[in-house]
Amino acid sequence: MSDTEYIVEMKHVTKRFPNIVANDDVSIQVRKGEIYALLGENGAGKSTLMSMLFGMYQPDEGEIWVRGKKENIVSPSYATELNIGMVHQHFKLVSNYTIAENIILGMEPVRKVLGCIPVVDIKKANREISALSEKYGLQVVPTDVISDIGVSVQQRVEILKMLYREAEILIFDEPTAVLTPQEIGSLLEIIRTLRDGGKTIILITHKLEEIKQVADRCAILRRGRLIGVYDVAATSTKKMANLMVGREVSFDTEKPPAHFGKVVLQVENLTVRNEDRFEKVKNVSFCIHAGEIFAIAGVAGNGQVELADAVAGLVRPSSGRILLGGRDITEETVRGRAEAGLAYIPEDRQNCGLILDFNLKNNEALRKYYRAPFAVRSILQPPEFDSYAEKLIDKYDIRSSQGGDTVVRSMSGGNQQKAIVAREIEQDALLTIFVQPTRGLDIGAIENIRKQIVSERNKGKAIMLISLELDEIMDLADTIAVIYNGEIGKTAPAGELTTNEVGEYMMGVKHHEEA
Amino acid sequence: MNSIIIDGMSFTLPLFIMAIGGIYSERSGITNLALEGLQGMGAFIGALAAYIAVNCFGMPQGSAYYLAFLFAIIGGAVYAMLHALLCIRFKANQVISGVVINLLATSLTVFLTKSINKAAFGAASNKIDLGVSARYTVPGISNIPVLGAFFTDVYPFELIIVAAAFLAWFVMYRTPYGLHLRACGDNPHAADAAGLDVARIRFTAVMVSGALSGIAGMSFAYSIFAKFSGDLYVGYGFLSIAALIFGSWTILPTLGACMIFGFARSAGYQLVQMAGLPSAYSDLIMILPYVLTLILLMFFSKNNQSPRALGEVYDKARR
Repeated sequence: MSDTEYIVEMKHVTKRFPNIVANDDVSIQVRKGEIYALLGENGAGKSTLMSMLFGMYQPDEGEIWVRGKKENIVSPSYATELNIGMVHQHFKLVSNYTIAENIILGMEPVRKVLGCIPVVDIKKANREISALSEKYGLQVVPTDVISDIGVSVQQRVEILKMLYREAEILIFDEPTAVLTPQEIGSLLEIIRTLRDGGKTIILITHKLEEIKQVADRCAILRRGRLIGVYDVAATSTKKMANLMVGREVSFDTEKPPAHFGKVVLQVENLTVRNEDRFEKVKNVSFCIHAGEIFAIAGVAGNGQVELADAVAGLVRPSSGRILLGGRDITEETVRGRAEAGLAYIPEDRQNCGLILDFNLKNNEALRKYYRAPFAVRSILQPPEFDSYAEKLIDKYDIRSSQGGDTVVRSMSGGNQQKAIVAREIEQDALLTIFVQPTRGLDIGAIENIRKQIVSERNKGKAIMLISLELDEIMDLADTIAVIYNGEIGKTAPAGELTTNEVGEYMMGVKHHEEA
Repeated sequence: MNSIIIDGMSFTLPLFIMAIGGIYSERSGITNLALEGLQGMGAFIGALAAYIAVNCFGMPQGSAYYLAFLFAIIGGAVYAMLHALLCIRFKANQVISGVVINLLATSLTVFLTKSINKAAFGAASNKIDLGVSARYTVPGISNIPVLGAFFTDVYPFELIIVAAAFLAWFVMYRTPYGLHLRACGDNPHAADAAGLDVARIRFTAVMVSGALSGIAGMSFAYSIFAKFSGDLYVGYGFLSIAALIFGSWTILPTLGACMIFGFARSAGYQLVQMAGLPSAYSDLIMILPYVLTLILLMFFSKNNQSPRALGEVYDKARR
């Protein structure tokens, strides 16, 4: 096999960061015109590997060959010259610029005024971009401003940015993490079209279904090492999952039968309005028992987040009552609720669940720092923070480069979530609220979090689970309540409902009156 | 009425050009509280150049005037490099850097003025006398009622400023450099990913703010003060920062804000004169622009949009 058959080769690449080896002797070869997937858990080193191909980092050891030639890719602009493009997980767009301005940034079409003064030719840019978006079936309006368009359109802009720079090798870093299921479908279609148009695609992901759907070959990374390269068509999803995690993964969570205790949370006629005085939660009542996983299913935006926030005390309900363990906590502060026995794992981990620029040990102590033994007569006790963090890191398998001193921002999403779950579970609360606890996590982390939820319930805690993923709800719930348009339509024991029925209630096709 | 416009514009325009300088720096993402110091340093260098040219080389006053502006631009730009260096190369806190640069400019220029006067001219004076610049009236147009006042008794620097302002607007909104500059202030990561040199763009933007502030300082020295001295540091730099904030970091609305300040000041003077009040009251009028700033702050602070990456140290590794 001649070398030139491969458009990209990375040979024995090693990259070290302080305290962590991100890539350890990784070699991959990508053929021209294929969709090559990089599969691995969060923190396995996929993004680091591709960041080196895109020139954001330089490898400590090893070589990168592009089109049969050894290259020293010193910067993203040099990568662009080599026709390599990358869509980052966090989009790099100028929010107050139009789509066209973002795409042309750095290589503007220029027209000379009076023969010498360079002026950006925005009309030409708009024309070129319309043509480009038509050619690849990526509908955008070039004059729309970035801050006014949705994430999936922003992603299209990122793709067009690469195509405008005539990229031949397109790297996608977790492109589906921010998309809804429908948008994922159309993105995968776009990726396929691009491949058929002769582009080479490298897809970083931890989602097996996506790989199954589009990828030709798949390299599996685990903790910075290359486990192997597999032909996707010939490898089962199960096998890929096991290789990725490094052990047998079970998709079904084991769950002994439920033993309900007395009522822990009682919500009575709760109504929550948003900032525009619009009723997001309408006159909702339910109760959750000790030892029960009470799952709230619903399509995004039907009021579930507002409901959770109201119970947790982040927003004030406009009417109704909330009782925890028989005590009225409707007027309680967030701290008061926590002390009354409420733990909360919020949907927005990075803004609401963690202080990203604090280290892990301070984040773990957020619920307790003001009390003994963390504070004695209002003086913080640093050794307590250290030992507490060590205990939690150990118990919940939180992986971080510098233990309790790791800045949380630098940790992977899965480990950030583990850190929140550890902190909240350690409160030993009566009720724990989980909102979208596994969103964006890889299967290893998902399995871990689901096990924690079940084991909490087995310990006799009440669990309120809000999830958009029906599979998760069907897997875990003892009781399912469906929220539609701010109202809880149907509440029933999990065994009495099929997935399809729940789906119908979620879409508002079926109403509780009929049931 | 006419003198309100004439005096108003001669105060508004220097304020405006300095505010444009601030806009350049801040739209590129670098907080610039150093305008006050930059205009003072620019004026000092310009005044010194003119003084030396006239007294040592016998240059006529008219040509020395333009030489002064040239050196004010250079002096402001070079001094601004200090701010750029601290904020960009050494990632210093931009607010502190700005404050330090103001303090340094005040003490350094006053000290140098005294030393140079003593050493070179034998008199320990704390000022460099310039005299007030000549004024010109455009024949014809100036006879139109109200509007004509804008063309009456115009300082030559007002023309320089109008030309510079138009050029600055054009560069910012029509050229690739302007597009790059504004991108750096909103999302430097995006600019970096597009292959732009964020540090270089920001560095030049800060230098532009120095150059334009130099023009402003020189203008004040040739009009209100008729000299360079420590009196120059009365806070006009901060007033122009207030103006650019009211103008939401965009050039045309900032002109509006500067005009409000300028006309408030000149109208106040007229009022004192017409009422025949003692001169102590005209000192009171000096505070009018600042009082106005306080009032405007209450109403306009809510809905103005600062550049998203303003004041943030750009660090490639951080996401």
